[in-house]
Amino acid sequence: MGYTPELKELIKRVEATRPARIDMARRGENFPALSLEERSEVLDQYHPDYQKEGRRMVRVGPNKGELFQNEVADLLESRPMIRAEGVDLSRLDFDTDILIIGGGGAGTAAALMASEQGARVIIATKLRHGDANTIMAEGGIQAATQECDSPYYHYLDTVGGGHFTNQPDLVAALAHDAPISIAWLEELGMMFNKHADGRMKVTHFGGSSRKRMHSAGDMTGAEIMRVIRDEARNRPDRISILEFCPAVELLLDEDGKCAGAILYNMETREFYVARAKAVILATGGFGRLHIRGFATTNHYGATMDGVVIAYRAGVGNKYLYSTQYHPTGAVYPEQNVGLLITEKVRGLGAHVLNVEGEQFCFPLEPRDVESAELIREAVEVGKGVVTPTGRVGFWLDSPMIDILHGEGTVRKELPAKYIQFHRYGIDISQEPMLVYPTLHYQNGGIQINDQTRTHIPGLYGAGEVVGGIHGENRLMGNSLQDIITFGRRAGTRAAEYVQGVEIKRLTLDHVVAFERELRENGIVNPVIAPVLLPDYSTEEVTSRRWQEF
Amino acid sequence: MNKAQTHPTNEKQNQKIATGDRAILPDGAKTVPIYVMGKRYEVPETLTIMKAMEFVGFKFIRGAGCRGGICGACSTVYRKAGDYKLHFGLACQTVVEPNMVLTQIPFYPANRAVYNIEEIEPTAESVYALYPELFRCVACNNCTKACPMDVEVMDYISAIKQGDLAKAAVLSFDCIQCGLCASRCMGELPQYHIAQLVRRIYGKYIQPRAEHLKKRVQEIDSGKYDGIVKALTEMELEELKRRYLESEREPNMALPGEWLPKDQEYL
Amino acid sequence: MKVLYYPGCTLKTKARNLGDTAVESLALLDIELEELSRWNCCGAVHSLADDDLIHLVAPVRVLIRALEQGGGRLVTICSMCYNTLARANRVMRDDPEKRKTINLFMDEEPDYQGEVEVVHLLSMFRDEVGWDLLRERIKIPLKGLKIAPYYGCTLQRPREVGIEPVGRFDLMKHFIEALGAEAVSMTSADRCCGSYQILGNPEVAKDASSIILADAGKSGADALVLSCPLCEFNLDRNQGVLFEEGRISKVVPAFYFTQLLALALGVDPRRCHLELNSEASIGLLRDKGIIAS
Repeated sequence: MGYTPELKELIKRVEATRPARIDMARRGENFPALSLEERSEVLDQYHPDYQKEGRRMVRVGPNKGELFQNEVADLLESRPMIRAEGVDLSRLDFDTDILIIGGGGAGTAAALMASEQGARVIIATKLRHGDANTIMAEGGIQAATQECDSPYYHYLDTVGGGHFTNQPDLVAALAHDAPISIAWLEELGMMFNKHADGRMKVTHFGGSSRKRMHSAGDMTGAEIMRVIRDEARNRPDRISILEFCPAVELLLDEDGKCAGAILYNMETREFYVARAKAVILATGGFGRLHIRGFATTNHYGATMDGVVIAYRAGVGNKYLYSTQYHPTGAVYPEQNVGLLITEKVRGLGAHVLNVEGEQFCFPLEPRDVESAELIREAVEVGKGVVTPTGRVGFWLDSPMIDILHGEGTVRKELPAKYIQFHRYGIDISQEPMLVYPTLHYQNGGIQINDQTRTHIPGLYGAGEVVGGIHGENRLMGNSLQDIITFGRRAGTRAAEYVQGVEIKRLTLDHVVAFERELRENGIVNPVIAPVLLPDYSTEEVTSRRWQEF
Repeated sequence: MNKAQTHPTNEKQNQKIATGDRAILPDGAKTVPIYVMGKRYEVPETLTIMKAMEFVGFKFIRGAGCRGGICGACSTVYRKAGDYKLHFGLACQTVVEPNMVLTQIPFYPANRAVYNIEEIEPTAESVYALYPELFRCVACNNCTKACPMDVEVMDYISAIKQGDLAKAAVLSFDCIQCGLCASRCMGELPQYHIAQLVRRIYGKYIQPRAEHLKKRVQEIDSGKYDGIVKALTEMELEELKRRYLESEREPNMALPGEWLPKDQEYL
Repeated sequence: MKVLYYPGCTLKTKARNLGDTAVESLALLDIELEELSRWNCCGAVHSLADDDLIHLVAPVRVLIRALEQGGGRLVTICSMCYNTLARANRVMRDDPEKRKTINLFMDEEPDYQGEVEVVHLLSMFRDEVGWDLLRERIKIPLKGLKIAPYYGCTLQRPREVGIEPVGRFDLMKHFIEALGAEAVSMTSADRCCGSYQILGNPEVAKDASSIILADAGKSGADALVLSCPLCEFNLDRNQGVLFEEGRISKVVPAFYFTQLLALALGVDPRRCHLELNSEASIGLLRDKGIIAS
């Protein structure tokens, strides 16, 4: 297939300006970078995190009075799927020691640790066990395992990358547990990339002082998830898995302890009462909210469910306003939409160009600045390229790389990207790529301490749903590590906690109270949440769903 | 929710713009007919099967997962017009073709043996004992033909029968456990479960262990780093920034395990 | 000389004493057995399937791999593999209808018409290496050892693929003599050992094996020589059981022909995997002074 004739026509404009741009690059000249003032201006006006518009103040709940992206604010001010007053909580459908909400890397690691201490565990998950952002992480997992490295440097790199906004006890826990996590995965039979003598292969990454990135092929997250999921399946006596059964509300007991959740069978549309002595929230992030319309690298179920139900129970969040956008996600062909195009492409000299084939930004600004400049060119200048499926993007002129560094450089330096486009008939050493910023990671989330506890007894959190580990910016490879480190901690702490805990009468009073708060603050027609899954029906189709109006 | 605030508006470019994963049909764009479980729909060309189905109004519960080609939730079988061959793919990775007839196979039953990784003998015989059906393979190769990841499934099953677990582990590494192989197997093997068992045996017992890692874990357990990390958590911001900026960078070309920084106080 | 080699699964697992000794011995005879880089089960395990065609898929796929890797001859050692591959090859060469069906079914592979020649290693000694050369290379003649050739069912049947006509056992006899041992004949050299019946009908298999072993005892043989892992199991490894159950009164161990070859060529006995044979085998070799005690 490759590019359509219309897009091929547009590529001619890129080719027309290329010789002059190549000469410029050979002279060592660049499109001028922004000054610090100009940077802050473009960030303020166009970076989704900085823009005043598209944000609003939340009027209820623990983070009342703080600014959030509209999509997030809508969900923090949402109303429940169930009529809380009408639920008979005396009829239990499930009764267990620990209920883990979310079946990705963090939830599964927690289940393994808890079950080792004899706890009975239920994992309730919205999609299949393992369908999560964990499985999509390609690059690797950080840990200071080498002689030249130590948790000290892992800590420093992590807080430096996070602009020193990280929560210190969480970073300390991450740096401390990271090698233990790697050893645990090795013990479970994970196939790491190793040298012949068994030494872990490690590499540098953006913001690293030491080579600390461990990997398994180019599918590290998938290998982690496969191994720990397989181990969970080996313990059917202690770990039960409920798929397509997300939690839609937390249960408390009359003492205010967390005591389970209301689960929703998405296939039969029944609700279940699941009582547990402790609950671990491991529901992941919010990429599928498509904050401000962005495409995302996230999996289908990344809809912030855990933050929403915790919020109604009184657990606030931090840094949730902060989102990691990667400036160059693919927008064409359709099956590559959201696919990350590594910074290396620009590092090797590829220019970013508008529909006229003109440069409009220095290609190697910091990620947030670069994203903002692309957005400005699309929204304000209106010179984006529109694809056959109605997406907007900019040319990333990868053919420059072979011209500048010699034929074959693209294939040698960017093998995976070359293959991913070649599969769809595009040779990126000959034709440019179409890119636009893409939503990658929820930097913030619910508040926990280094033992993964929230302020509600019996409620724990781990994985992308929690905030503070990465501050306002996450380093590559720290997400897979935080999933394992805090997943393991949550499982262990919860299993210790449930010893001797007695659950009193179950209640959904906090939900009733939350709805009252919504009404008292004049919030009318709030959306229903958790939203569980995005709806990608077109307006044409939804306008014909007459019975729903 | 307003989906289009950071995207060009209709006025700016006088065209409709897709946001998120929602595709739209801009003026003049071409459509092609596809048959979802036999029923005809017109969808924009260049869409993946997954997005084409969503475009016409399907909302997945099963049959969609990572949407990035790695979770194995959206296995799809299809035929093309005038072609007897069955084709296999992931709905999120396969582009629609005119007149294709498709169905998803979001789940397929497969036998999985429970085992204890700590106690298992790391031998091929252990695998045979858990999965005696291995020897029902007739080498028909339908598994390999069905694999959307181009894994040589029959070859790794052959390697296991030949007792070569290391070869099977490497050959099966790209498996996403979608189950299409098992759905096509006339010997009724659960290939992907067998491969998972073999890879874990390989990772735990056959691949050499990382000695430096064992040592580092002992150091951590002994509390060696507790003091210096705690000091960082309590450090003044300016001092923290200074240390971050002054930290020495390991050279790109440093040999594994050989380079050490000048300042070794914090190792 | 280099020749393509198909080992078969059993020679890589339970019958390493058959496969490894062959590879090492042949190297001493200046023949490199080059293992196919890609191969699958020969198909023997399911040769009893009701469907007459599907069991051809596995062996034909192996033959196609051999063709891809240069073609010509494909050497194999296990009697079962030989039988399965050679028979499938005959069908592909001689039966146009079945050939067409199989090629259509395997449409992801190149068409196959029986181009490869399937050779059993024993035939290769007779037809290519020659008994004289073999005799020349022997370092430790197996003097004083009386050995009965045991062909079992699959080396000679059906006759189109037999390595020797039914009723004649000259090939193994010459082989035994070339190694410096004495060949003795027994009447049940091509009787069935009981084969797979050992799994489902062990009594039937044990009866069959006992007849052969009793006959071997009467013939005065110290040992049997064979080339099939299933025969080896029934006639060698299972012998202790047969003896304990009183089915046989004399133990006559069995060896793979490649093990005796390797020992005679001077290969270190530790590399001949005698630990995979019955205990009686090692005892016999010690008694005869062929391996150190």
